[in-house]
Amino acid sequence: MNKQAELDSLLQDVAKSGENLTVSDRRAFLRKGATFLGAATAAALSAPSVRAAMPPTEPAYGKSLGSPVLANPYGMPSKYEAHVQRRTVEWLTPDRISSISFTPLADLKGIITPSGVMFERYHSGLPEINPQEHHLMIHGLVERPIILSMDDLMRFPSVSMTRFVECPANGGMEWRGAQMDRLQFTHGMLGCAEWTGVLLSTLLQEVGVKPEGKWILAEGADGSHMSRSIPLEKALDDTLVVYAQNGEALRPEQGYPVRLVNPGWEGNTCIKWLRRLEVGDAPWYHREETSKYTDLMPDGRSREFTFVQECNSVVTNPCPENPMTRPGKIWVEGLAWSGRGKIKHVDVSFDGGVTWRQARFTSEVFPRALTRFGIDWEWNGQTALVQSRAVDETGYVQPTYAQLRAARGENSIYHKNAIHTWQVNKDGSVRNVQIS
Amino acid sequence: MFRSRKCNVLGAVTVLASLSLAQSVWSEPGVGHYGYGQPATEEQIAGWDIDVRPDGLGLPEGSGSVEDGEWIYEAKCASCHGTFGEGVDGYPSLAGGEGSLTDGRPHKTVGSYWNHTSTVWDYINRAMPYTAPRSLNPDEVYALTAYVLFLNDLIDYDFVMDDSNLAEVRLPNEPNFIPDQRPDTNNERCMSGCKDPASVTLVSIGPELVIEEQSIDAVIEVAAAGEAVYQQYCQLCHTSGLAGAPKIGDVVQWSTRLTKGIDTVYRHAIEGYQGEVGVMPAKGGFAQLTDDEVRASVDYMVQESQ
Repeated sequence: MNKQAELDSLLQDVAKSGENLTVSDRRAFLRKGATFLGAATAAALSAPSVRAAMPPTEPAYGKSLGSPVLANPYGMPSKYEAHVQRRTVEWLTPDRISSISFTPLADLKGIITPSGVMFERYHSGLPEINPQEHHLMIHGLVERPIILSMDDLMRFPSVSMTRFVECPANGGMEWRGAQMDRLQFTHGMLGCAEWTGVLLSTLLQEVGVKPEGKWILAEGADGSHMSRSIPLEKALDDTLVVYAQNGEALRPEQGYPVRLVNPGWEGNTCIKWLRRLEVGDAPWYHREETSKYTDLMPDGRSREFTFVQECNSVVTNPCPENPMTRPGKIWVEGLAWSGRGKIKHVDVSFDGGVTWRQARFTSEVFPRALTRFGIDWEWNGQTALVQSRAVDETGYVQPTYAQLRAARGENSIYHKNAIHTWQVNKDGSVRNVQIS
Repeated sequence: MFRSRKCNVLGAVTVLASLSLAQSVWSEPGVGHYGYGQPATEEQIAGWDIDVRPDGLGLPEGSGSVEDGEWIYEAKCASCHGTFGEGVDGYPSLAGGEGSLTDGRPHKTVGSYWNHTSTVWDYINRAMPYTAPRSLNPDEVYALTAYVLFLNDLIDYDFVMDDSNLAEVRLPNEPNFIPDQRPDTNNERCMSGCKDPASVTLVSIGPELVIEEQSIDAVIEVAAAGEAVYQQYCQLCHTSGLAGAPKIGDVVQWSTRLTKGIDTVYRHAIEGYQGEVGVMPAKGGFAQLTDDEVRASVDYMVQESQ
């Protein structure tokens, strides 16, 4: 079979199995080694079901009635979007109960992560909690220790803010070299949502912190009773006790019925299924702030309480899941974020960091939130090395791998925010690489 | 200057901004501004206030010996953490690794990495055993803490740990924790001629692209009831082989059990069974499951193991 015949045959298979060509079908061509592009597009247009829906023909769905209202009382994505889902890397953890799944960043638009595909991180699995049975206790060095039902909590003045949440291990598999084969796994321990809840400062005012109070212990209600010590300064700055995400109650995976969000800080400090806040005069040095989530340096010492998620960025189109389809103009997109505030600039390089061009923001720019950027590129069909480099409002410039390794070696696991490189191959496929 | 030095974690900006706010939370005794919720009684606080600090604050009365800990450890911990604390099938190792923190592959354990004994007590008490957290009494937690330290050669076999001496047992790596030192890089926003193009070489290449999309049909198919039960209740042991459980997907292990007939397998799963190679607690220890749910999960595992 010659190449063209092979392509036609592939496309006919695709047309039979689905109404439309999807992103994943496009990937199938690349995977099977077809050298793409003009030929693929032409072949796609000649596939029977696609042709049947194109002008001048009236598509079938325009010649019949659709479903009634309430066919789905709670609407779900189209079945043609079913490939947009969380995925995990099985070898990372011994089971799926204390484990992590990743956000499908390559398929998402804008800066809000849909709640249903935001990455999961559990230390003892996902608890099922009836909000009627759930309570939040605030005690310790306070004048008036209290127990709040969810109804009580929701009576306090509420605040909404759009902020990212990122696991500090995001990208941690890449310290020693490129390892993961898709954006979902290199950067997907990340999401951004509009969070609604009560400022922790409001609750602390309600209970009256005693003068010697300096730290807060936050604790979850799940089997791990996940706990972290948080300095009072942060608690009084922007820590939010959250019960809603993207306009509706938190999803169970995100801590239903109530969680903490410490904007810009390690995701694990944003305790889910929150049941207890205690004010103390010193940190507690619990397992998740000593044995884990500390950063081992080459000299054998370890940094503790490394809370901030520093400025980072990544190109989301192209990426391994979104390969190039043809030479010529392409709208390159990506995401940038910083735990220290707003993103100020993002620059993009196509030659491995020799020359850079400033991208423009294509979303609103909120502090400590994902920010989307884009830039035009004329791809000549040759191999390219695509990078993005973000600068935040403090002037901090996202570092290179060489700079990060010089400062921290390769064994610190967490807080890897190096400039990332995608290699665009001549066949349009995109590969994860690291360069000198 | 490329970077503001004011922006470290607890830096000047945050502290200054919070000082004015901070005034407002130092409230006087009396009622809160809103008065919502109910006062927490001492008894209620005691029930949930489980945290322990390095100075021993929070430890309940109690004691446990290394010897007591050894028995409990064998029964409740060794299946995951190994007889000598070496860790099994990817579950954490608890002992060893001394002097390895500057190696290419550091081995982090209680003995080589953790900084406070209180953390061991607190973590066992809050989250262990993995499948039954909050099931140990304080004496058992003292005994297990002592045994884990014994496995690391940090205390003798005749040691008895209690609330008065725990904080005195120091871990070797305690002095090696330091505050956050970021930002610790100083990249510049160069726009052109940033490096010699000839010097740009690949130093590391990820795996060949192996993205395999599931078909849409497979993805949107609703998980069968048996699979759902399996995932929530059964998978921990039946993916790892914990306690001699037949692993899902292992044709030999499952076909051996099926020689007794599927009804026998159902009965063992529902009523519990002590076999030659392992133990199946009744319904896996989840009494709330119906018999049908257990059967459905068995069906699912059998189907996945042919």
